[in-house]
Amino acid sequence: MRIKEHPIIGEIKKGRLVKFTFDGNEMEGYEGEPIAAALKAAGVMVHRHTSKLDRPRGIFCAIGRCTDCVMVVNGKPNTRTCVTALEEGMNVQTQYGVKAKEADEA
Amino acid sequence: MKRYNLAVIGAGPAGLSAAIEAKKHGMEKVAVFDENSRPGGQLFKQIHKFFGSKEHKAKIRGFKIGEDLLAEAEALGVDVHLNSVVAGIYFPMKRLGVIENECLINYSADNIIIATGANENFIPFDGWTLPGVIGAGAAQTMMNLHGVQPGKKILMVGSGNVGLVVSFQLLQAGCEVAAVIDAAPRVGGYGVHASKVARTGVPFYLSHTVVKAEGEDHVTGAVIAQVDSHFKPVPGTEKHIEVDTICMAVGLTPMSKLCSMAGCKMVDKGGAVPETDKYGATSIEGLYAAGDVAGIEEASSAMITGRISALAACRKDCYITDGEFEKEYDELEGSINKLRKGMFSHENKGRTDITKTDEGIDLSMTLLTKGYVSDREIERFPGVVKEKGVHPVIECTQNIPCNPCQDACKFGCISVGEDITSLPYVNKASRCTGCGMCVANCSGQAIFLVNDDFEPGYSTVTIPYEFIPRPSIGDKGTALSRGGEAVCEAEVVDIKVSPVFDHTALLTMKVPKDMSMKARFYKGKEAL
Repeated sequence: MRIKEHPIIGEIKKGRLVKFTFDGNEMEGYEGEPIAAALKAAGVMVHRHTSKLDRPRGIFCAIGRCTDCVMVVNGKPNTRTCVTALEEGMNVQTQYGVKAKEADEA
Repeated sequence: MKRYNLAVIGAGPAGLSAAIEAKKHGMEKVAVFDENSRPGGQLFKQIHKFFGSKEHKAKIRGFKIGEDLLAEAEALGVDVHLNSVVAGIYFPMKRLGVIENECLINYSADNIIIATGANENFIPFDGWTLPGVIGAGAAQTMMNLHGVQPGKKILMVGSGNVGLVVSFQLLQAGCEVAAVIDAAPRVGGYGVHASKVARTGVPFYLSHTVVKAEGEDHVTGAVIAQVDSHFKPVPGTEKHIEVDTICMAVGLTPMSKLCSMAGCKMVDKGGAVPETDKYGATSIEGLYAAGDVAGIEEASSAMITGRISALAACRKDCYITDGEFEKEYDELEGSINKLRKGMFSHENKGRTDITKTDEGIDLSMTLLTKGYVSDREIERFPGVVKEKGVHPVIECTQNIPCNPCQDACKFGCISVGEDITSLPYVNKASRCTGCGMCVANCSGQAIFLVNDDFEPGYSTVTIPYEFIPRPSIGDKGTALSRGGEAVCEAEVVDIKVSPVFDHTALLTMKVPKDMSMKARFYKGKEAL
């Protein structure tokens, strides 16, 4: 959930509201914020599934170190969503192993 | 190849301070490289007021310190390279290989300061890779930088200052903190940080660890258990806690890879760190390490060690004389030594045998095991006095490096003394006007104003209040004790906000007279 007003920070400055797609579904987020922040605000927890054991992974360190939150962004796999800025019209896909699901790619 | 007099790696508190110091002392070409898109390191996530004294920027919130450092670096013409990953460091050529715009660019520098900071530690447990298990730093990043709650209901693992500060910030962001747990038998961070969390009703479980994160594709609960003296979970003590997020604050490890890559002699100091002299010089000529990468401390000391390393580089290359260097170094050393004193200093780290303050007062054991000082224990501390009319009650019970309260009171009611780790005491002779500056300026939110002569049968208690929505005058709610238990009804009789209080509101509540030394938090009708 987004914090509407904060007792110390006040209003949190954001870019303009833009649309993007997550696994084919249209979503909204603020331009320039990390993709992970937009997904978290929309309640998305799972960013990828590991290749061998198919285990779910999501945000873990949120500063670009751990690579748990990587997804397929605009066709590019292993994109660290916690440090990649959201742009209008981005195509964000859950990553399975090192690629998106075949069906989503088609 | 571009050449710099000084290249700093890492634009956090240590790195920015180093670059500023070098520029101020005449170095012309100074660059800072940082892998992030924003400079400032972790400072911009620190929304609490810092400790220390005036010279350490005490009572200023971390992100404001970050803004000031950044503005100063820009004004001085420091060349800040963002989105720049230093991937290679080569000695004796004194070169950096930096990935910028997906290209590897080489830079050379006469001096290099490594100020890369630290990585968070994690502990593995059943289910720890589930989405919803996050680092405390991730929680701060999501809520304080991006304005997104990391979860609804959080279990905090770790009671060091990071765990405590982030727990409070989670509450400020409107999240619920289900509990703070720690495998250690004692709260690791400052008691004042623990107290401000405990008084809102968050339970502390010491000698407890998390054994399981429950859930299929994200966290839906946690199982915690008591641990024995070897930190092994005791069977049969498991407890289920309903949470959607498990937040780990279990220490930091210096991010010293570049130091070892450069060939520095490394030593073990809570992780591998480069061996440095007192100026931060490593075993390699012209290469320095400053801030957490040279040994975990905190941002205030990182800013000073950054400055010291830059001064050393300036002396080496004759930008300043030996005499000038000695003079400035002595000053900075004096300043950092003030921060390195007290029961939380390096030499006391992890000690569980400290039972008294420097003043010889028995420590509050309830504070160390439950996160708050008991009613009986609080009476023995020098800041806790009973006087006629309105007066401060200072619930600062450990020797921590901090003294803004002393400067806050224009009327000289509060003294800490020369040694900033001493416990503050109330000067009975002076007169309190009830202005509340001490309440707002205490970085630990440990000062309250009590007036036992408010009206017959009733007292007022003024508390620091950093939550929204702010209650209004006339609101009725519940007063909570230091341990977060409801003790009586309370009516808000005043709520003061002012730019000089810097977002700390002063809430004054009316409580029955016998509750004035018990009531320490206000909970409105709608839950916090």
